[in-house]
Amino acid sequence: MQPSTLESATNNNLEDQGVWRRFKRHPGAITGFIILLIITVASILAPLSPYPPNESNIPERYQPPSLQHPMGTDALGRDLLTRVLYGGRISLSVGLLVVAISMVLGIIVGSLAGYFGGRVDNILMRITDAALSLPAFLVLILLSAMMREVDLPFYETNNVLSIALVIGLLSWMTTARLVRAIFLTQREMDYVLAAQALGASGYRITMHHVLPNGIGPIIVEATLELGYAIITESGLSFLGFGIQPPTASWGNLLSDAQGHFTQYPWLAIFPGMMIFFTIISVNYIGDGLRDAYDPYHVLKKVGEV
Amino acid sequence: MSINLNKLFGAITFLVVLSIILTGCAPAQGIQDEQRSITITIPEDPPSFNAIIGDTGYDALVSNMVLLGLTGIDPDSNIYPELAAELPSQENGGVVVDENAGTMDVTWKIRQDVKWSDGTPVTAEDVVFTWNAIMDPEKGIWVRGSDYVDNVEKIDEHTVVFHYNSLYTGYLTQLGGEQLVVWPAHYCDPEQGFSQWDCGREPLSSGPFVLKEWQVGDHMTFEKNPNYFEAGKPGVDEIVIKIVPEDSVRKEMLLKGDTDLIMWVSETIARELDGQPNISVSVSPTNRWVLRVYMNEAARGTTDPVSSPNPFFADVRVRQAVRQAIDVDTIAESVFYGYSKPAWTEFAREPYKCDVPRPKYDPEAAKALLEEAGWKDTDGDGVRECHGCANAKEGDLLEFELATYPDYGEPILLAHQLIGEQLTKIGMRPKLVVIEGTVMWAEAEDGGTEQSGNYDMDLWDDGYSGVDPTDYLDEIYNSNAAVPGSGWNIVRWISPEMDQLLAEARTLDENKREEVFCQMAQLLDEQAVVPLLFTIINADAYSSRLEGIQSNGNDVVTWNAADWTVK
Amino acid sequence: MIQYIARRLVQILGIMVLLSIVLFALVNIAPGGPLAGQGQSRHIPPERAAALKRQFGLDKPLPVQYVVWLVGNDWMRVDADGDGTADSYGTRRGILRGDFGFSFQTRQPVLDEIRLRLPNTLYLMGITLLVALGIAIPAGIISAVKQYSKIDITITTLAFAGQAVPEFWLGLLLILVFYVWLQNPFTGEPLLPSGGMSSLDTFSLWDRTRHLILPVMCGALGWIAWYSRFLRSSMLDVLHMDYLRTARAKGLPERFILYKHALRNAIIPLVTMFALDLPTIFAGAVFVEILFSWPGMGRLYYQAATQRDYPVLLAVLIIGAGLILLSNLLADILYATIDPRIRYE
Repeated sequence: MQPSTLESATNNNLEDQGVWRRFKRHPGAITGFIILLIITVASILAPLSPYPPNESNIPERYQPPSLQHPMGTDALGRDLLTRVLYGGRISLSVGLLVVAISMVLGIIVGSLAGYFGGRVDNILMRITDAALSLPAFLVLILLSAMMREVDLPFYETNNVLSIALVIGLLSWMTTARLVRAIFLTQREMDYVLAAQALGASGYRITMHHVLPNGIGPIIVEATLELGYAIITESGLSFLGFGIQPPTASWGNLLSDAQGHFTQYPWLAIFPGMMIFFTIISVNYIGDGLRDAYDPYHVLKKVGEV
Repeated sequence: MSINLNKLFGAITFLVVLSIILTGCAPAQGIQDEQRSITITIPEDPPSFNAIIGDTGYDALVSNMVLLGLTGIDPDSNIYPELAAELPSQENGGVVVDENAGTMDVTWKIRQDVKWSDGTPVTAEDVVFTWNAIMDPEKGIWVRGSDYVDNVEKIDEHTVVFHYNSLYTGYLTQLGGEQLVVWPAHYCDPEQGFSQWDCGREPLSSGPFVLKEWQVGDHMTFEKNPNYFEAGKPGVDEIVIKIVPEDSVRKEMLLKGDTDLIMWVSETIARELDGQPNISVSVSPTNRWVLRVYMNEAARGTTDPVSSPNPFFADVRVRQAVRQAIDVDTIAESVFYGYSKPAWTEFAREPYKCDVPRPKYDPEAAKALLEEAGWKDTDGDGVRECHGCANAKEGDLLEFELATYPDYGEPILLAHQLIGEQLTKIGMRPKLVVIEGTVMWAEAEDGGTEQSGNYDMDLWDDGYSGVDPTDYLDEIYNSNAAVPGSGWNIVRWISPEMDQLLAEARTLDENKREEVFCQMAQLLDEQAVVPLLFTIINADAYSSRLEGIQSNGNDVVTWNAADWTVK
Repeated sequence: MIQYIARRLVQILGIMVLLSIVLFALVNIAPGGPLAGQGQSRHIPPERAAALKRQFGLDKPLPVQYVVWLVGNDWMRVDADGDGTADSYGTRRGILRGDFGFSFQTRQPVLDEIRLRLPNTLYLMGITLLVALGIAIPAGIISAVKQYSKIDITITTLAFAGQAVPEFWLGLLLILVFYVWLQNPFTGEPLLPSGGMSSLDTFSLWDRTRHLILPVMCGALGWIAWYSRFLRSSMLDVLHMDYLRTARAKGLPERFILYKHALRNAIIPLVTMFALDLPTIFAGAVFVEILFSWPGMGRLYYQAATQRDYPVLLAVLIIGAGLILLSNLLADILYATIDPRIRYE
């Protein structure tokens, strides 16, 4: 079926090509993308490691980095590199799940508030404000104590889903405000009024017109949240509230290292470095995306809290 | 214009920096050199000086320095008199038993030479006052023996009688031991109540030290008590307690000389410090805590083992198999560097040492037991299923949750993982889970996993202090302690024979008691009720500046602080 | 404006009521309770548990506990001695009258626990923020003014790096380097102290400063990174504005333009951001306080969380939430005062 004139007017294809082109010109973003890709692929390929991630090997405890064990071994003789890569699966999964959850929640709340306005907007914004006023990390500490495990296929015992749920529940608010702001500016635009006159449903207008036009800041926000989610999960696990051993996550690897980081520093250095490189890559990618979508920083004024 | 401004800024900066340097260079008052002052570091503040209320151990640390009980327990589990002039016994007439009525009276004679730090003598009045405050229904607290003491009577200024309404074997530590001390009647406010009186935070001292200042979260300072009754003691003039939450930082501080004593070091840190010059590690000869395996005999989520037996652990053969599959020696020696000793019975301490043969580590025998119990692996996936087993459905997998708690730290978590591996080797599939202690041991209404029966197999350390295990055994093995909220028989082991033995143990006839205890030992061993694995270290590390330090598994390291000296 | 503020205050009140219920439910529903596991005994004898529950007020149903927490129980009869009859009045006055209850752990009034630690946290966080702004603002300005120069690229890269470093990891590394490895060449002692606010019995500015260096470095890094980038982006927006072009055309010196026009306008969003970040001073930095033995609010909360010390948790949460809401209002007011284009009805 031929796309209607209205739809081609809002067709984003040309813009998309421009976005990618501009992104490619951002050296930091490209480097970040490559690093993130390497880390992700390595984590996915973790099962290829000759060392099992959880099985003990007592004679080889606390070995410093060497050829056989590039990152050394831990308290039970397990290869740290293997555990770090497995930890990457967990930490990255949590990150992605958090982004998914908070995006979904944020887009729903923001769209409803922005599209309907009035009473609905008021109530939803007050709820958002209330959620924003909670001291996030403190509440997370409590919430993570509440969540028991939910089994995910293909992982061992862990609470990936619970932790992601908990962090996601406290991070949808910025996206909601962003989406609402996008709606507020787009709502009065001609094409929306025209679509409404043509009888398009709210859902259709939202999904096919408004959101695609605001996709830039939303994607940038998503990348920032990925970074935030990974650091938050690590922080919680470090304190003992997040992912529990023996399942490795970057945060609880650091927590395990806490007791001996003065004697066996590699146990703390490597997991921390993984977090560092992941976050810095994600941030550079976010920056590149922001420049690519919005080279003149116009939308920033709209979306800025 | 701007040039002058710059000069002005430069001048001001110079002056500020100069003043910082000058004030900073003022010589530190060097108290550490002139006085004999030592520093102890612990991870958190004591909640108060009342160790029975807080029960954290850090309260016992400071309480030992400042207050005295009627008795204390030494590292070899011998009870010694503190405020008491001598230990009451049946021989010296201190303990009088009325056989017909089944009651007894214990008479305590209090030392005449002990004073509070304000000069007032410590008298029987203080003992009576303390006991009544403890027994106050509103603001007191239940202590072991509470149910058996009718009242405490003052005979004269230095004599007190405890009237018991039945035979109670723990009378020697009724107001002594690690956590109970005598409080000053003229200083503590009974209106505020034993649980929260201010004198529990600003105590009046009868012990070797006096609290000088307490900056919450940061540090506490103690000075020697000039009125302390033992002449020439303490040998230390000042003790500073610093609060440092991070384990490795405390360890580094000891290595650098920023602290003199760290309390309760784990096996890994003990090992690391033991070889260092100028540092010693004192290990307690008695180990209060023993790591054990708790196997729920009732089905998960229920609390009655008779109507809903646990599909795996209600069968004694499965429990025995678990016990034989765990390689205690390897764990104790490798993970715990030999600081942990294998343990297999509750009764390993004089004078109630029972001769129970040590269960052998024998995975083949364990597998045979499982086969016999009807758990066979017919599909070759490494996990056994029920084929003719006693309490599960045909085909059910032998998989369950093996939980432990993270609060102790790495050694137990590592043991947890190793035990999981060893159980996997005999065809079980334990799912390793870590649950906070505050969740594991909470009440059933608060979601406590053990009280509500929501667990399969738990791994944690427990034990009793001192010599007399009677109360402790009652709390753990009595059938009526299996009811949620009534006790800690969380494995839900119902044994009329054990109940009978527990009742018989409440006798003052030492020979009879030993006999009864050893019968219990046999029974517990046969039934593999709560297999004990190995002891958890009780050790403290200190700089060789200090002399007289001795770790005490029945108390904490300051039990003999009056005897410490500084080189 | 007054009407606006009044309306907002009413809204804040409403949100606080909602939050009080949510937080109360959250704290109590979390599995585990204050009676378990903190002690050496691992498990509490049931007789003791019953008395403790009464003393803590936990023997009542949750809604009653909520009401007691809000308005106290000195107006109703309670069974204080466990004999089954409610024959004495309660002793609590409720948070609406300023009584936040007493800590389950220490039995001291919660407000006392907070009062003893809040100044330490304010001291640490205050200095951290000052240092952070002191470095971030010049960095951001230079970065923006010399956009794309080597200096800008260096600063921006450092900023990205600073945002990516996890605070707890940084803390461990700082301790490792400055306390364990490095030594003061004169005294042979560790270069910097391992923690705490000061050495005992010495009160000197230098000693205090030495104890501040590591915790401030650890806590400030993230702020510096974030604020310098934020200011850079803010400045860049302003620097390209038309009215600056006019000023330049008029021949005004660049420095003058920078300070008088650009910076003042660029600072506005920063100020409001800062106002929004202020409440974090209250709850402190949990990691920094734990790693560097700083006796502050963050550590208080963390310990209360592991021990399920409900009154302390609730007090910190509700006060923290209140501060955030008020600071939001403050930020909005500031924004309106500084920027004349904004009007609230």
